[in-house]
Amino acid sequence: MKIKVVTNILEANDRIAAENRKVFDDAGVFVINLMSGPGAGKTSLLESTIKDLKGILKIGVIEGDIAGTDDAQRIDSLGAPVVQINTGGGCHLDANMITEVMNDLPLKDLDLLIIENVGNLVCPAEFNVGEHMKAMLLSIAEGHDKPLKYPLMFQKSSALILNKIDLLPYTNADLEKIKKDSLSLNPKLMIFEVSCRTGEGTGEWTKWLQSLVK
Amino acid sequence: MHEVSIAQGLIEIAIDNCKKQGYKNIDSIKVKIGKASGIVSDSLLFAFEALKTGTIAEKANLNIEQIPVSGFCDICNKNFTVDEAYVIACPICGGSSFKVETGRELNIDEIEVSR
Repeated sequence: MKIKVVTNILEANDRIAAENRKVFDDAGVFVINLMSGPGAGKTSLLESTIKDLKGILKIGVIEGDIAGTDDAQRIDSLGAPVVQINTGGGCHLDANMITEVMNDLPLKDLDLLIIENVGNLVCPAEFNVGEHMKAMLLSIAEGHDKPLKYPLMFQKSSALILNKIDLLPYTNADLEKIKKDSLSLNPKLMIFEVSCRTGEGTGEWTKWLQSLVK
Repeated sequence: MHEVSIAQGLIEIAIDNCKKQGYKNIDSIKVKIGKASGIVSDSLLFAFEALKTGTIAEKANLNIEQIPVSGFCDICNKNFTVDEAYVIACPICGGSSFKVETGRELNIDEIEVSR
């Protein structure tokens, strides 16, 4: 006997994500799901963003890592509320993981919550966690072939932060190709060129963040 | 890489539907997976085989139908299908105004059950 089901396999996750989103909306906090491959500079971007917006926006962070608390400690040392999720091998955060920790943060006191996903250019793009917006980083040293090799994350993100732009002269990366391919995949993508190390370009990014939240 | 989560999700949905209809065993599960969904069929099968053990889907086969990436071009008014997981220009006329219609599926389509 055959039973027609026709259900999206991620439906359960999307349902929980919608519940998380309602909690965020009720608390009046704007939520960004920040994604990238390992080592692109997600935590460095968070550090510079928190410093730059100190006294302007109250920012909280959920840190997703396979193991360890190094990233959460970096955020904690800046005085920002942070909780760490260890996925224990899982390659992405899902909505249920966020449900379990989100009330450990003072959501009502926050203007902006940034969820730093597990470093992975593939899987995190597939799972909504209740965010208002997805944003991604790509570091210049990763190479200009990445948008067309990992199209999904570029298609699902609203913003692309190109980090380590100070390294451009030392690589073979073609910056224009990265931008052109990314925009071909996603014409509405906002692109920021930054160096979290030197501080170059981060002002444009924080200005944009402020415009989203306020 | 997230095929394990996907396999877990599809087994749960299948078991749920099977029980709701009053059946005891799942004999097969058919899924439709788009080429742009980021899912590797072999990994999904592997995860499915590992996770079904001890459930009412223990004896079930997983049949995967791969859906190609296809769309419709607003400029040449033609339907197209591509081999890649993405479209950056209409493969027929090269135009940049088009809609991608298939390829992102991640659906459980039907299950076969018995008492």
